[in-house]
Amino acid sequence: MKKALTRQQHLDLYYYMRLNRAVEDMMVKLFRQNKIVGGLYSSLGQEAVSVGTAFALEKRDWLAPMIRNIGALLVKGVPPRDVFMQHMAKYESPTKGKDGTSHFGDLENLHIVSPISMLGDLIPVMTGVAMAGRYLGHKIVAMTWIGDGGSSTGVFHEGLNFAATQKAPFVLVLENNLWAYSTPVRRQVPIENLADRAKAYGVKSFVVDGNDVAAVYATAKEAVELARAGEGPILIEAKTFRRMGHAQHDPAEYVPAEMKKYWEERDPIARHEKFLFKEKLLDEKGKKEIEREISALLEKERDFAENSPMPPAEFAEHGVYCTGDDCHKIRAKWERPVAEVTPPKSSVPAVWTVAGFGRGKGSGGGSAPIHFGDTEKHEQKEEVVAANNGAKGTAKKSAQPAKKPAVVAARKAKR
Amino acid sequence: MAQVTFLDAIKQAMFEEMERDPTVVLIGEDVGVYGGAFKTSEGLLAKFGWERVIDTPISESAIVGAACGMSYLGLRPIAEMQFIDFIVCAFNQITNFVAKGHYLWDAPAPIVIRGPAGGGVHGGPFHSANPEMYFVHTPGLKVIYPSTPYDAKGLLKSAIRDNNPVLFFEHKFLYRRIKEEIPEDDYVVPIGKAAVRREGKHLTIVSYAAMMHTSLEAAEELAKQGIEAEVIDLRTLAPLDSDAIVESVKKTNRCLVVHEDTKTGGIAGEIAAILCERAFGHLDGPLVRVTALDTPVPYAPTLEEYFLPNKEKVVHAAKELARY
Amino acid sequence: MAADVVMPQMGESIFEGTITKWLKKPGDKIERDEPLFEISTDKVDAEIPSPSAGVLKEIKVGEGQTVPINTVVAVIDAAGSAAAAPAPAPVSVPAKTEAPKAAPAAAAPAPAPKPTIVPPPAAQPAVMAPAASTAKEGTRVHSSPLVRRMAKEHGIDLTTVPGTGSGGRISKQDIEAVISGGASAPAAYEAPAPAAPARTAPPPPVAPAPVAGGGGPAGHGTQYIPSLQLGVPRERLYFGNYEVEPLSTMRMKIAEHMVASKHVSPHVYSVDEIDMTKIATLRAKSKDEFEKSYGTKLTFMPFFVKAVVAGLRAYPTLNASLDGTNVVRHKEINIGIAVALDWGLIVPVVKSADEKNILGIQRTMNDLAERARSKKLRPEEVQEGTFSITNPGVFGGLFGLPVISQPNVGILGLGAIEKRPVVINDSIAIRSMCYVTLSYDHRVVDGAVAHQFLHKVKETLENWSEPLV
Repeated sequence: MKKALTRQQHLDLYYYMRLNRAVEDMMVKLFRQNKIVGGLYSSLGQEAVSVGTAFALEKRDWLAPMIRNIGALLVKGVPPRDVFMQHMAKYESPTKGKDGTSHFGDLENLHIVSPISMLGDLIPVMTGVAMAGRYLGHKIVAMTWIGDGGSSTGVFHEGLNFAATQKAPFVLVLENNLWAYSTPVRRQVPIENLADRAKAYGVKSFVVDGNDVAAVYATAKEAVELARAGEGPILIEAKTFRRMGHAQHDPAEYVPAEMKKYWEERDPIARHEKFLFKEKLLDEKGKKEIEREISALLEKERDFAENSPMPPAEFAEHGVYCTGDDCHKIRAKWERPVAEVTPPKSSVPAVWTVAGFGRGKGSGGGSAPIHFGDTEKHEQKEEVVAANNGAKGTAKKSAQPAKKPAVVAARKAKR
Repeated sequence: MAQVTFLDAIKQAMFEEMERDPTVVLIGEDVGVYGGAFKTSEGLLAKFGWERVIDTPISESAIVGAACGMSYLGLRPIAEMQFIDFIVCAFNQITNFVAKGHYLWDAPAPIVIRGPAGGGVHGGPFHSANPEMYFVHTPGLKVIYPSTPYDAKGLLKSAIRDNNPVLFFEHKFLYRRIKEEIPEDDYVVPIGKAAVRREGKHLTIVSYAAMMHTSLEAAEELAKQGIEAEVIDLRTLAPLDSDAIVESVKKTNRCLVVHEDTKTGGIAGEIAAILCERAFGHLDGPLVRVTALDTPVPYAPTLEEYFLPNKEKVVHAAKELARY
Repeated sequence: MAADVVMPQMGESIFEGTITKWLKKPGDKIERDEPLFEISTDKVDAEIPSPSAGVLKEIKVGEGQTVPINTVVAVIDAAGSAAAAPAPAPVSVPAKTEAPKAAPAAAAPAPAPKPTIVPPPAAQPAVMAPAASTAKEGTRVHSSPLVRRMAKEHGIDLTTVPGTGSGGRISKQDIEAVISGGASAPAAYEAPAPAAPARTAPPPPVAPAPVAGGGGPAGHGTQYIPSLQLGVPRERLYFGNYEVEPLSTMRMKIAEHMVASKHVSPHVYSVDEIDMTKIATLRAKSKDEFEKSYGTKLTFMPFFVKAVVAGLRAYPTLNASLDGTNVVRHKEINIGIAVALDWGLIVPVVKSADEKNILGIQRTMNDLAERARSKKLRPEEVQEGTFSITNPGVFGGLFGLPVISQPNVGILGLGAIEKRPVVINDSIAIRSMCYVTLSYDHRVVDGAVAHQFLHKVKETLENWSEPLV
């Protein structure tokens, strides 16, 4: 169901990828001038994934970037100065110098959740974001990214499994860039396509060429629409390659030179530019115009960042607890009638309904029928899940074989 | 006013808060239809529905992580750990995501993580934990461990209304064993304030949770021998009400800490250091602690009894301290 | 304006870098971000862009040199350049945690911001300094932080406060009693405070500091120093009429020594009876001439001393001291002779008594006793005794059970010499008899040795044959 992109969309994708790369190039210089302290991570060669997927979200949607998703932050609306100041630990950065790199967020306006360094933890968190959005009546989608390496963590599994049982409106973009620090993906996982794992979780998945920004966008758009319609969560595997080392201090000599060359020739920006030129959506003049625009913007942003002060030393003691009324400014925005979730409207019989076996104890006396499947009417898998979880998903009326009992929520054995 | 058990007080708090505030939801394992492993959430699902009482897979990291994410949109989730022992399965989420959010990026996570803790019930090494100090040690978290039904209800309400992540430990030994009359109208107990349960002048006994009752029993015993102990119930472990402890020790000049947590790394060591920093010139005796052994919680009743503090151990230590 | 160029940190664990190549030389123009030099580190090699535009003024670190990170490697003269902007000084502490919206305060040109290390938080409030101990050097006054503080606040010398707390320490009650001038002290938990006696209130107890017992060399770390403990609650001493007199220093020393000796040595007593007739006769016969010739009275004591010497020679175990698990057998025989004084008791020592004759012993003893009474004894004259003799019999009574003078293991107590009927060869005779008691330390000396020693002493005296000089 891939809709064709408009010219403006194509140009926007190009712009954001170029901005992404220019921001990161500038940060490399700042790093080598000792103005960026700590580590610096690059998404060179992966810009299409960050930009293409984020571009598919609407303003009301939520995202949580990982280290190599600065492109997504730029698309969401984060000004480059914030990215610079974060890395430079400046007092006017979004975290006022308390954390660096992409570890910042904006709950109220841009709907960005900050990552932590541990990988995979964003998955259950963004699942919670998606669930809360649904609960409040927002028609939002939550999106986050994970690498091939990060997909090995336990919390990846817990999070995705939980999201699947909840049918959360959540899109997980798995960037398979073939290297996790110095470990090739072959050593991370024993399978070729990480998207194959979606089947194990019972979720839909897509595989896409991560260096083709238009394809990435189209895939992401479809995934986001499915999630928003209640078909989530969706797993997108974007195939790409990490062209720099793990961070600035890592020259990545463990990557074969031929591999680097192969992927350099598939540079996402060069590819898209070639496409734009071919389709006459952009010419040399237009390209120079974009370059000038970006250069001017970044000069300004960089100057602002460099002139921003460092945080004062005593600031280290502030902010451990949220105290006072003005510190927690988030208020739930109800976009559905609150009455639906308050008594008496919220009341339900607290019983498990199991296809073919009727209702459990506490239901008021209903005992299980002896015949399988033919006395209780509904027993569709989706409806069982919906009834048990209150999701507003569309219940597909697919036929269920009468003999197979649906998923049983068994009483968990005492641990 | 009705006589309410410790457990029912907790249940009442959840009921009332969910009624009062539609952003309060409960998420955990077996909390919905089953009503919770100890029945603390019995009836909640019937009243508030599937969207607000969420049964989850066995995934503590996902429970805490999802609760955290929900809070970013203004919800106030209560995440239940079926036994507090399992809270360490979500250790990373709690200490790195939830605890640091406000400090690092202005995103406090107003969630409550609660569950049954403590031993003395033949639960063995994985159902009797007192892991409070891992979290007292983590900046950004509040840790509550009440000892009375009145406090349990009032502090859980405060916890739910607090904008910081709060860990609420419920000592399972007390669940059905203690009852108290509690008011029916809405009330809260402030977080971070200790309570003087008994006034005295010869020594101060500081304690919390189930050991608070043991300390009171010991104080009764000591009184028969002419030793008047002042008993302080911490109620909140982080932030610690060190003012109350210091004030009491300035009066009695001797301090004994009783806790069911292991000796090494238990809060008694913290209190001893605080008293040295703030009340050294008022100490007329060493800082004594009566704690569990530095071992996992053993299963056999004879072993567990030896492992735990009890009234006799407290009386013995208090007498030695009073006579120093 | 000059801009510093620094060695960057190319990774969290990198702390130094080597300049491999300078791409510009002093005097060259340079643009911001233009490659300026190349470096090599443990992890990665990199080309470093210039932080500002201007003219390269000076290269401070040459090719091939390795320097720590943040070292200034070059200076750029950025005069006339609009692009270079000095980093502003850090802001002062804000009252709230809101980020300042205004532009940063104008500051003097500062070097490029380096990674700053936040200094450790302000020191915790200083622990209250303990009250200065006023105890004599070498003694400890056990109390508590509270007591020391109270003592300091009220100007009380803790060495003057007796302790009734654990191990004899001064407790809060003890010092409160002193502060309140002895009026009913705050109730200790043991018993309610008694009403003050009808007539005079008990005075505050004032006593000199406990010191090491005299008579022996300075102790090892394990020397026992007891306090003057009461065996009953203090209130029980004060009833009816009474007068209070503080202990003298000597009395204190004696008290300390006696308690210590009884505590340390398990005392066992052996009594024997000596027929002193022979010596009494000899003495009666010789004393006048003795006194005339040598100018000093002849008493029984030198005979006893010689007899003891003979006994100690035969049984040297009694001429020893116990040091932990070692018995120290003294080669000299130095006999301490207890001297009663009006104000107490002292034990001067007759050194090398085995090398002296009766005259020598008598002379030494007289001299020591006289100087004891006139308080002219020197310290070494009351030290290094290896055995003691005491003569309670001079005041009457049959015999005594003396306390060992530490660190000896034996002391001989002499009873009065009296004429008594005794049985000799199955008939009754009147003889000058003397009971003697040997108190000995059963850690070192057993009954058999003790009795044999006594027997030797008895034998020596009963069969006296030595000349007096």
